[in-house]
Amino acid sequence: MKKATLLIISLSFLFFFLKSVFALNMESPLFKIQYGEIGIAGGNKSSANYSLSDTVGQTAAGQFNSTGYIVKAGFQYLHSIIPFRFSISNTNINFGTLIPNSPQTATTTLTVSFGAAGQYQVTAIEEGRLRTLDEVNSVPDTQCDGGTNTCNESLAKPWTSNTAYGFGYNMSGNDIPSDFIDSTYFRPFPNRQENESPAVIMSSANVGRNRQAVVTFKVNISPIQPAGKYQTIINFVATPSF
Amino acid sequence: MKIFRFLFVIFIFYFLFFISSKDINAQSVSLSLSPPLVETVIKPGKSILIAYTIVNYADPVILSAKVLPFEPKNNLGQIKIKEEFEGPIRFSLDNSHLKLNQSFFLKTNEKEQLLLRLRVPEGAKEGDYYYTLIVESQPVTTQLEKSASFAKASIGANILITVTESGKIEIKPKIVLFEVLPRFRFSFFGEKINFFDSTDPIPLILIIENQGRNLIKPEGEIILKGNFGEKAKFNLIPQNILSQSQRLIQATPSAEIDCSNLSKFRACQSPVSLIISGFFLGFYRLSTAVIFGENSPQISASTSFFAFPIKIFIGLILALTIGFFLIKRFSPKD
Repeated sequence: MKKATLLIISLSFLFFFLKSVFALNMESPLFKIQYGEIGIAGGNKSSANYSLSDTVGQTAAGQFNSTGYIVKAGFQYLHSIIPFRFSISNTNINFGTLIPNSPQTATTTLTVSFGAAGQYQVTAIEEGRLRTLDEVNSVPDTQCDGGTNTCNESLAKPWTSNTAYGFGYNMSGNDIPSDFIDSTYFRPFPNRQENESPAVIMSSANVGRNRQAVVTFKVNISPIQPAGKYQTIINFVATPSF
Repeated sequence: MKIFRFLFVIFIFYFLFFISSKDINAQSVSLSLSPPLVETVIKPGKSILIAYTIVNYADPVILSAKVLPFEPKNNLGQIKIKEEFEGPIRFSLDNSHLKLNQSFFLKTNEKEQLLLRLRVPEGAKEGDYYYTLIVESQPVTTQLEKSASFAKASIGANILITVTESGKIEIKPKIVLFEVLPRFRFSFFGEKINFFDSTDPIPLILIIENQGRNLIKPEGEIILKGNFGEKAKFNLIPQNILSQSQRLIQATPSAEIDCSNLSKFRACQSPVSLIISGFFLGFYRLSTAVIFGENSPQISASTSFFAFPIKIFIGLILALTIGFFLIKRFSPKD
């Protein structure tokens, strides 16, 4: 009897582990593995890890007719009758009155809709630093908390210190860069006036639709920051892939 | 009566102060532009007209249109738009009341057709030229009396132009990578052996390089063959590979992985061409054959992997060990 009990306990362990092993979804509404076709284990037997070949050639553009041109509109592989659409929920990101050592934040939501499917990117660049209208004074672009937590235009780092000053942004939502680990991670915007390249803040190499991300702008000024109304323009550019 | 008067005043105050002020500050932009992509093969000396439609779905907005060249940024289909115009192609708007770089106004739910004239001058050098039509909003920066940043929304549509006198295009592709991203990789007599657990999703990467001077579009499939005769086919998505660039080519149907639970899974760290899900056992071979239109050369590649139920095996060993231990521990001693 005892042996039977112990055997049941052992088998219970086994099934417990088996359950955890098979926890991965083996199918989804979006894909299906088509087994059942009888195939012969043929193919290129000489291959090692992988083999490849390349060829050089030329072909005629079959439809190139007497008009002297061919035009194709839309993506061959997706229904592009639904146009590429880009939305910004709020274009006036109001920080209110800036108070030294008291970070101000404001958010806006970016949405990209792309019909049935499609690749896209959204880039961001500031047209200049956050500065007064007379362009005499400016808030520096953030370096986050500094030291090992120094961020730059392509790498987000934590910005939690109230004595770390500057202007930057955080991202959350779909298709955002992976360095925005949580809401404390920030980057400075690239600056067009300093000939920096726009940063890709949303992108999808896989198909997707109605992708949405929240941009949180943050500004923190030092006690010696001259009083004034500081403003800048952030250019968000959404483009489909090719 | 007094209480009604009081409530009326409160209502008017609320309406004027909160609702009205929200309307002024929360300016939103929502634009659509179609078609998102235009590909053309054109002779020097010819011109074509492309009709774009820009629609404003949000607050009234001032817009302007411009055309700038772009280049591929990486192998993921991303682009880098150049700051200055370059190249021989000439662009203009055929609209009677509009020009490029000239502002125009769109009310809510209003649309405008932009008739973009594309002209290739005689003597233009044969090759590919890539441009983006950009329609951008003009931010209203004078409304706020506080510190603020203003978002400017720009939406683009790409134009891929192949200039050729003869109508022939150069097809010069090369598969630079066709490989699985294994859980383990061993080296055996100089050969690399890819190894997965039976329940692992199989991530696969296919990168094709276009060494020619014209864009190409891959067609073909990836075939998975197992040692028990099982076979599965996955179609390549015909995504453009621009001249002198590489592109990660995707295949379908690809499994979807919930990366919130599998953040260390390699397919969650970087994009892949295909994820194959299922239960795998033994030796598998993956092969691909790619063509680039009719009468084009075919390129091919293959790779392989082994799959073994490591997790099940470990679970079994662990269960048997515990079972053996318990039996020995509690069995009556003679």
